[in-house]
Amino acid sequence: MSDTFDALAQRVRAMGPGVADLVAEAEATWLARAAQSGQEIPTSPGWRPFEDAFPTFFQFTNRPPR
Amino acid sequence: MPVAPLTFTGMRGIAAVPSYVIMQPTTLCNLDCTYCYLPHRAADRRMPVAVAEAVAATVNGWAAAADRFSVVWHGGEPLAAGAAHLAALMAPFQGVEHHVQTNATLVDDEWCEFFAAHQVRVGLSVDGPAHRTGQRVDRGGRPAYQRIRRGIDALRRHGIAFAALCVVSAPEPGLADELYRYFLGLGCHALGINVEEQEGVNTRSNARSQEAVRGFWAELTRAWRADPRIELREVEWAVRYAGAVLVDRADEVLPRQIDPIPAIGYDGSVVLLSPELAGFGDERHGSFASGSVLDTPLGEIVTAAVTRPSGWIAEYLDGVEACRGSCPYFGFCGGGHAANRFFEHGRFDGTQTNHCRNSKIGLLEGVLDHVRHV
Repeated sequence: MSDTFDALAQRVRAMGPGVADLVAEAEATWLARAAQSGQEIPTSPGWRPFEDAFPTFFQFTNRPPR
Repeated sequence: MPVAPLTFTGMRGIAAVPSYVIMQPTTLCNLDCTYCYLPHRAADRRMPVAVAEAVAATVNGWAAAADRFSVVWHGGEPLAAGAAHLAALMAPFQGVEHHVQTNATLVDDEWCEFFAAHQVRVGLSVDGPAHRTGQRVDRGGRPAYQRIRRGIDALRRHGIAFAALCVVSAPEPGLADELYRYFLGLGCHALGINVEEQEGVNTRSNARSQEAVRGFWAELTRAWRADPRIELREVEWAVRYAGAVLVDRADEVLPRQIDPIPAIGYDGSVVLLSPELAGFGDERHGSFASGSVLDTPLGEIVTAAVTRPSGWIAEYLDGVEACRGSCPYFGFCGGGHAANRFFEHGRFDGTQTNHCRNSKIGLLEGVLDHVRHV
């Protein structure tokens, strides 16, 4: 298993800055949502952690990791 | 010096306390979608209040000890139970968030007032614009889309937020961008994509072209990245995992234990781990129900499964370990879902399913494909 996961991980890392750029954009999105946490749920597309919408995803949070 | 192989440590065993329960206030659904997995959806078997009281006797304690705890009213079509009955079922619960997953066709001004009064979070089942919604019909075969839209219009009129779950039967490039733009216009704040699954009474094969599946997810990633106002459940989860891989923290993403996800049927029966197994069983294990809240406290039912897993649950846990030992995507997925294993393989200890390929492997690879093509 480790070899195959390692191969996947190496493939991700070998993709250059593209993955990092995508992750950085996503983290900016999550931070923007977190800044609004505690406010009312928006009635239009907005910034929220998705466990607010999908309780079945409580265990899979997209809250900012730091 | 050789690097020790990574063994993922998440999803080991079942958690003693869930983070939510699913309640079936009625088996009835007023629609008859061609991909639906629910048995008995033509019958109106309503949950007695005594069942809700029995569930609440355990759940209220769980909720008091947790930051948040949800009760998810799912059907059938939960609104088909009627507002008065649903209110009576909700009444015993304290300190919980109520969620309802509805097809929206019954939503009107009165239901909107109900949602506001009971602080119910609303999730809709919407598959896209009318020409993408042909599988959603009533028992007379009449299209449901206009009724769905009327319900959504009512929610918007009342300023009630809603998330959307979208079933996609044929994921392929060309569809994702259209769907994302549609949901932006619809006004939902969050979107989950459920690629059609072969489960329950839906026996249609869910084998799909992996090239098409990856193309769908790649296009959806591109659409979200261009305008990320909607929380896009699957894509955001995949991006988060890719980020963890980059910084060698892939093993920290999964929950430490599997959520038991108690699903309470209308009659009080309890199915753990996969709500789609409710009402089913097989010759080897008998019914997949772990008990009834009318006989045994819910907490005892969950504790027994956690501390002494047996039957199909033990077989499922073997399957999770088989995934851990064989699949490079385990750290992202956490192991195939119990219902997908059973309805695709006939057992719980198999590993990779079509659902894995469509909604986990194809998803992660599609997100990476997007990056590759930028």
